[in-house]
Amino acid sequence: MNKMEKALHELSEMDDLAALSSPIHRLHPAAKLITTILYIVVTVSFDKYDLGGLFPMLLWPVLLFQLSGIPVRTCFYKLRIVLPLVMAVGLFNPFFDRAAMLTLGGVAVSGGVVSMLTLMLKGVFCLMASFLLMATTPIDSLCAALRRLHVPGTLVTLLLLTYRYVGVMTEELAVMTDAYHLRAPGQKGIHVSAWGSFLGQLLLRSMDRAQELYGSMLLRGYHDHFHYAPIRAFAARDGIFTIACALCFALLRFVNVGQLLGGLVMR
Amino acid sequence: MIEFQHVSFAYEKGREVIRDLSFRIGDGESVGLIGANGAGKSTVMKLMLGLVSGEGKILVDGEELTKQNLSLIRRKLGFVLQNSDNQMFMPTVYEDMMFAPLNYMLSREEAEKRVDAVLGRLGLQELKYRHNHRISGGEKRMAAIATVLAMEPEMILMDEPSSALDPYNRRLVINAIRELGQTKLISSHDLDMILDTCDRVILLSGGEIAADGPAEEILRDRALLESHHLELPLRLADK
Amino acid sequence: MHMADALLAPAVAATMYVASGTAAGVSIHKLRKDDEPQKLPVMAVTAALVFAGQMINYTIPGTGSSGHMCGGMMLSALLGPFAGFLSMIVILAIQCLFFADGGLMALGANVWNMAFYGCFVGYFLIWRPIMRSRLFGEGKGAARGRIVLASILGCVITLQLGAFSVVLETSLSGITELPFGAFVALMQPIHLAIGLVEGLITSAVLLFVYESRPELLQCVEPAEGESAKRSLKSVVAVLAIVALVVGGGLSLLASSNPDGLEWALFGNAEEGYAENMGLDEDDFGVESAAAEKAGAIQEATSFLPDYAFADSDTPAGTTVSGVVGSAMVAGVALLICLAGGFFRRKKAQS
Repeated sequence: MNKMEKALHELSEMDDLAALSSPIHRLHPAAKLITTILYIVVTVSFDKYDLGGLFPMLLWPVLLFQLSGIPVRTCFYKLRIVLPLVMAVGLFNPFFDRAAMLTLGGVAVSGGVVSMLTLMLKGVFCLMASFLLMATTPIDSLCAALRRLHVPGTLVTLLLLTYRYVGVMTEELAVMTDAYHLRAPGQKGIHVSAWGSFLGQLLLRSMDRAQELYGSMLLRGYHDHFHYAPIRAFAARDGIFTIACALCFALLRFVNVGQLLGGLVMR
Repeated sequence: MIEFQHVSFAYEKGREVIRDLSFRIGDGESVGLIGANGAGKSTVMKLMLGLVSGEGKILVDGEELTKQNLSLIRRKLGFVLQNSDNQMFMPTVYEDMMFAPLNYMLSREEAEKRVDAVLGRLGLQELKYRHNHRISGGEKRMAAIATVLAMEPEMILMDEPSSALDPYNRRLVINAIRELGQTKLISSHDLDMILDTCDRVILLSGGEIAADGPAEEILRDRALLESHHLELPLRLADK
Repeated sequence: MHMADALLAPAVAATMYVASGTAAGVSIHKLRKDDEPQKLPVMAVTAALVFAGQMINYTIPGTGSSGHMCGGMMLSALLGPFAGFLSMIVILAIQCLFFADGGLMALGANVWNMAFYGCFVGYFLIWRPIMRSRLFGEGKGAARGRIVLASILGCVITLQLGAFSVVLETSLSGITELPFGAFVALMQPIHLAIGLVEGLITSAVLLFVYESRPELLQCVEPAEGESAKRSLKSVVAVLAIVALVVGGGLSLLASSNPDGLEWALFGNAEEGYAENMGLDEDDFGVESAAAEKAGAIQEATSFLPDYAFADSDTPAGTTVSGVVGSAMVAGVALLICLAGGFFRRKKAQS
């Protein structure tokens, strides 16, 4: 399997997950979008040393994973892109910020280590949140929701069309890549002599394809705007979900739940 | 009814792809458009749909095709592209089928009714909410035909409807075509399919009509077919 | 260069959303004045192509490593700045939504860093002036030279701006303890090399388009009457410029990374984003390389005072209860998981 095929596989995996049915899948996409963004903003807004305060934020994605029946494994596979980047930035902290911050069983932990861990947790939490959004919401419903939220139609239509052709193009390039390597064994990538023509050929063909596509849109009466999939109205339960989530996030943000729980037990 | 009157067309100056072409297709006819690669089959279709414009007159139901009435005329014509991916640009089969009816100002309920009817007729109900990039080649072709039928066109144009399909799916498509009541124009190299679906055949060569007549007659003429890079349909070759 | 949500403070992310959103609004407005219905399919197909094209590995001659393309410059050369910018937004959105490459909250910043510079700065300040100039003279050969020059300059400059923005945004967000200067010194040279490779790839593709369908390129008039001599001369001139830029870049790089350890660390991290679908996960040598690197930096910066922070009054008791509480949170999370599994099994049985 080459890279493009893996990407295709990843895309179809998301499609399959989004096609499942669960209480979370049935929520209005706008409710999910808003809560996801809220969650990310709240998560990121924790102080860089507030590891203890941040940790309880874990509960929300865990709850959603369980309610929606989405496997966590797929999500962790996606961490491979985010984590190295976050780590590359965060890994410097322990070396620049060496003042002891707390002691755990006699071992002093420096502020840098705490801030690095906080950063990494933030990275993982945010990823889980946006993964859950996409794993429970098909792209067409999301686009319809974006339209409802007054994102310009041009952009939404473009997103929808592009998403459709990402599959087509990636598949074509996957085939082309295989065909290339079958005739160029031992080469790791595209040789410099084919740098222009490899993608260029497909680009020229794609321009013709775009013309044909435009033709087929015209032939079916397209003039200036797209009709989106109907989504159901924003119901009371969507509102309740959104407000409940917002309140929970506020609670987790302003009350150190970990501290509180620990305090209860310690006393 | 469609009529070409002395139509010529060139993509580049001096290199005509269609030369002084005249023919007429009556209501309810099923016509096969055959010819070697580059004979001008696709161009004829594009001219008919107003995707390109050349010299001469093209009449649809007695009305000349012009820029002004283009959208009115296109409403009567449904075109099934050879590459279904170029035709199906919406995420799901359902939305793709809704695209044309909604553009023609049908209400959502009416459009949906139409979509369900077409899917039912073609036996494709289970494809309705499937994603266009997740269905097989055969399903995609059937779905593409369905999207065009949802427009309820008076005439259907098809470009290589049987290409790249396995025998089973090819048969499905052929059966579906045979059951369409509309006027049909089918361009293909699959002469067996033409024989199964069309009563009349127009053979194009270098942008001109080389033969025009009953399918059974033209598709039996080995010499004529071979001189245009074609072969007898297998079904007739045995006899 | 895709930023993750965790690397940004909400205020910075919001600012970048506003900035990118404004640029998007202007682009949509401009596009509507143009022939939007006709442009949309072209934009969608081209964006999809660039998305897939980013996954191609290009072998860099003589190095054994491979380069990638990001596409902002190419999109604006093909579609113009406004349509190119919108297409790039959509590509970044799909990467963020489906591949977890970049974050939902960081999208505004990513659009700014990768699309805004590539499309607007790249087009208005580099592509258009160069293509309209009479640089290298008349004729086809000269046009080829201009395409190569504009692509390389465009990619290098816009990538530098993008990398600088990443540093700026991360530092403003207070995420990293790495001093601003050191961070800049780390990011810029690496992106110089990446930009060069990307520029060469972009120019190769655009040259191919120019040879077959010049009318597809913005600001390029299909020139008639080619003169072989001049074309040779201009190609030589371009090669000389390229060599100069490459040489300059490499020496800069060499001077700032005497041991090349940055490459080991950031090279790998970059791999993660540049490879996009990052499939070389097995060769993330981050850990060990990072430790060595950190040691090196520690020595180099040992004159820096330890940052003491106003947290010294934190009583140890609070810390302990915090830890116990966190363990309880973990326990609750585990319980939720168990309950979820239990109910699913029950449902499956019934």
